[in-house]
Amino acid sequence: MSRLAYFARETLISLRRNLLMTIAGIITVAISLFLFGGILLVSATVDHGTQQWKHGIELEIFMNVGSTAKQVQVIDKELAADPQVKTYKHLTQADAYAIFKKDFADQPALVESTKPSDLPESFRVEPQKAELTEVLALRYKDQQNVATVITAAQQIKRLLTATRWIRLAFISMASVLLASSLFLIVNTIRLATFARRREIEVMKLVGASNWFVRVPFMAEGLVQGAIGAGFAFGLVWALKIIIANLLSNQHTLLSTFRVTSSDALGIGTLVLIIGAGIGVIGSIVGLRRFLDA
Amino acid sequence: MIRFEDVTKAYKGDVVALRELSLEILKGEFVFLVGPSGSGKSTFLKLLLRDEVATGGKVMVAGRDIGRLGSWKVPQLRRNIGCVFQDFKLLANKTVYENVAFALEVIGRPKHIVRTQVPQILDLVGLTKKADNFPTELSGGEQQRVSIARAFVNRPLILLADEPTGNLDPATTVGIMRLLDRINRTGTTVVMATHDQRIVDAMRRRVVELDHGSLVRDQVRGVYGVGS
Repeated sequence: MSRLAYFARETLISLRRNLLMTIAGIITVAISLFLFGGILLVSATVDHGTQQWKHGIELEIFMNVGSTAKQVQVIDKELAADPQVKTYKHLTQADAYAIFKKDFADQPALVESTKPSDLPESFRVEPQKAELTEVLALRYKDQQNVATVITAAQQIKRLLTATRWIRLAFISMASVLLASSLFLIVNTIRLATFARRREIEVMKLVGASNWFVRVPFMAEGLVQGAIGAGFAFGLVWALKIIIANLLSNQHTLLSTFRVTSSDALGIGTLVLIIGAGIGVIGSIVGLRRFLDA
Repeated sequence: MIRFEDVTKAYKGDVVALRELSLEILKGEFVFLVGPSGSGKSTFLKLLLRDEVATGGKVMVAGRDIGRLGSWKVPQLRRNIGCVFQDFKLLANKTVYENVAFALEVIGRPKHIVRTQVPQILDLVGLTKKADNFPTELSGGEQQRVSIARAFVNRPLILLADEPTGNLDPATTVGIMRLLDRINRTGTTVVMATHDQRIVDAMRRRVVELDHGSLVRDQVRGVYGVGS
């Protein structure tokens, strides 16, 4: 117990002595881990969305506006006979209008000025296999009276490419910042050992064990890393709330995207572990030169 | 207690500090280590502390070859060897009491041991009244007494002293030597490297003389220099 008290006291003294360096270390750990955790959170959100699409990948075939019932029926029959189509659903102009009203609920003027007859009829199609989506899209796109075919995959793919690049950019930024926070912690520990070199010399001389000499410095690194990570945890949590709010106002494609508390909790825990790890690794590197001499 | 067997220590760049040195120091002996600067005295002490490792031969302390000690066992060795230096190596931000207590605290001795041992040892070195003073408030002789108290508070088997009187005036030196003699009489082996001719001649203890890393003299009741 007295040994714990000793370690706690020494760690606190050392942290206070290097206050500015300590703060710099904490801030860089916090920012880098927030970037890291933030991008993981966004990825998790997107994953939830794509996960849903995977269960029943859909493509939607839009007819030209004003196609006759007969023209629509041609496509209907063809879909019914298509062995690559598992199920499909015909959306009439009334159905389209219902969706339209929901999507543009916040623009009453637009809804007001739009009549069901202005909207295209469409077919929502679930293929036998997800891989067939593109094949089906290509086949139906050039059919008579078909205006366009939208596949979930196209939109998702575009989004995934975007998030992949964003993810890459954020993770490289986060790694650079993580590296610099590591250097800052190494430097703080070096300064701390230098400030206390006479004490360390005496400790080694009278036979203090290596661990006894090291622990206060390692605790110092750990505290820095953990506090920084704690801030990052808070920021990730705040980001989760912001994303959740943004998504709750969406009724379009993004409505399948979700962010959960367990995502934020898991990522936050990871962030804490990395932060503490960086602190300890930084202090070990910082101590090596001085103590093993 | 201490045995050197054909010990050679060479540093980088072909500097040979010790050359096939063989020597035995028994438990409870008081040995002066003399010789000019660069003769290998400091290397001798550093090898005993495992601050350096011999490049040839064996250094035995209490029957163990300390050159083959794992680095995690070095602290254990050092707990059995007290050490005193010319520059005292006291911590300026700690009081006399705290400086001595520090040596016990950092090897994990419980509080009640610290509370009984430190006043005892301060009494031995005659600094009870200065317990709450800081090192800068003490004379050189007093500071050296604190450092001896720190080296001896853990009751080591061996006390090494590297020029302990190098910074002190003759009168103060006598007091320090009396203290070391007293510690020696408790059964502690004392090895003292020194340039101080007068104290070696006055004490008439075993003298080991090194020159260019070789043993040139080992005399039971010796003086500083041959013919002086």
